[in-house]
Amino acid sequence: MNEIISVKRLSKSYGGLSAVQDLNLSVMQGTIFGLLGANGAGKSTTIECMLGTKKPDTGRVSILGMNPFRQRKQLFENVGVQFQEANYQDKVTVVELCQVTQSLYRHAADYEELLKKFGISHKAKSMVKELSGGQRQKLFIVLALIPQPKVVFLDELTTGLDAKARREVWKILSDLKGKGLTIFLTSHFMDKVEALCDTICILRKGKAVFYGTVKEAVADSPYDKFEDAYLWYSDEEVNDDENI
Amino acid sequence: MMRTFRIMLKNEMKLSLRDMNMVIFAICIPLVVLMILGVIYGNKPAFPDAEYTFLEQSFGALTTIAICAGGVMGLPLVVSNYRSRKILKRFKVTPVSPAVILAVQVVIYMIYSVASLILLYIVSAHFFGFRMGGSIFAFLGGYLLVMLSIFSIGMMVGGIAPNSQTASVIASLLYFPMLIFSGATLPYEAMPGALQKIADILPLTQGIKILKATSLGLPIENTFVPMIVMVVLAVICIGVSLCFFKWE
Ligand SMILES: Nc1ncnc2c1ncn2[C@@H]1O[C@H](COP(=O)(O)OP(=O)(O)OP(=O)(O)O)[C@@H](O)[C@H]1O
Ligand SMILES: [Mg+2]
Repeated sequence: MNEIISVKRLSKSYGGLSAVQDLNLSVMQGTIFGLLGANGAGKSTTIECMLGTKKPDTGRVSILGMNPFRQRKQLFENVGVQFQEANYQDKVTVVELCQVTQSLYRHAADYEELLKKFGISHKAKSMVKELSGGQRQKLFIVLALIPQPKVVFLDELTTGLDAKARREVWKILSDLKGKGLTIFLTSHFMDKVEALCDTICILRKGKAVFYGTVKEAVADSPYDKFEDAYLWYSDEEVNDDENI
Repeated sequence: MMRTFRIMLKNEMKLSLRDMNMVIFAICIPLVVLMILGVIYGNKPAFPDAEYTFLEQSFGALTTIAICAGGVMGLPLVVSNYRSRKILKRFKVTPVSPAVILAVQVVIYMIYSVASLILLYIVSAHFFGFRMGGSIFAFLGGYLLVMLSIFSIGMMVGGIAPNSQTASVIASLLYFPMLIFSGATLPYEAMPGALQKIADILPLTQGIKILKATSLGLPIENTFVPMIVMVVLAVICIGVSLCFFKWE
């Protein structure tokens, strides 16, 4: 198996606050990697440092064997990204956003098909700001898939989606994984993470407190259920008390 | 690359038209000023025994109102707005280059400016007896140079302003003085001498001198200094905006 993403000793601080500390990650082709952690643990900061939208203080990142700063154009032909916040022009419509996104790539997918797959093709003519939160989220997953990427980064992909939509989105992602897509995601839904992620990394205050498979995470904790184990790893208070 | 440009241009033009701001500032305002000057001065000569009318003398200046609106207001505001709304950040994780994003916006404001020029020409020729005294090609050449130069100021402001508030403050500080004191609306010839001296510092005043000379068919030698000013300004501003372009 090929290593698609490699992060070595990544650190990033904002002023005095250290948001990510000495993080090492490795993601293999065709796997789903879950970066987990409480709010403010440093997940988005990690993703943005990996993509080059934030400059890491130290560390090396390589995606598809390329450096996101030096080989930006070449790299992003094959990478799809969904940021945690949706960014779009004030009066833009769904179709317009899709058309422009499609035009940026050499081997783009058919966006109409993707909109249909995600159940929002009836909203194609609407303005993006008039979509419901969940519909907008689906749209930005569609945008991340338009490049027909080899790897996608999805930051909080299912927050705001209802139970049915979550199930559909995860189904689509596991199908894509079956076709060889590598997925890097953050999520707060532990049942889905458990079902889908091959490898996880749990961050607490910017530091990796667990790295491995879901099974290992449960085995190394005093709990039988993954959700409990996750809370045990990520809960700042409990662990801080223990450290004392 | 060409396809990206074409589709982005179409899309951004639609967004800009939905917004209506530029239709008012770049298309309507110049026509209104033209009407006012036309009604006040009619076919009067620019000065006793002049070979051209006051309106003909003002035509070159009027065509820069749209350049000014697009170049120092529209362009910096849209770019800085896209930055603060993190739309540029999304583009950063795609293969598109910043030059394409800037070029699309530049072309949009060029379209507005040229549309304004054509409308001004039609209205002034039809209703106020306007005749181009000089060579039309010299005029268009000068027009392109002035446009490039003024737009480059906007590109620089939009490209490097830290946030959209700063950009809109800088844009207003550039736009209103230029519009009023460089002779674009208030005719340079109607200004008192002291004010003319201040006006001469503004780059647009220099640009308007080129347009006046070419539209009236005055000797081209007088425009060498203004031309150099325009070219130097464009080179510096374009260089700065591309070198220091900020996605976020
Ligand atoms: N631009 C910034 N300037 C200063 N501090 C920041 C900035 N962005 C993030 N932080 C801080 O860095 C820490 C990590 O933030 P980050 O957004 O990476 O968390 P996260 O794990 O993605 O959280 P969430 O689950 O809420 O999305 C937080 O304490 C946050 O306040
Ligand atoms: Mg986050």
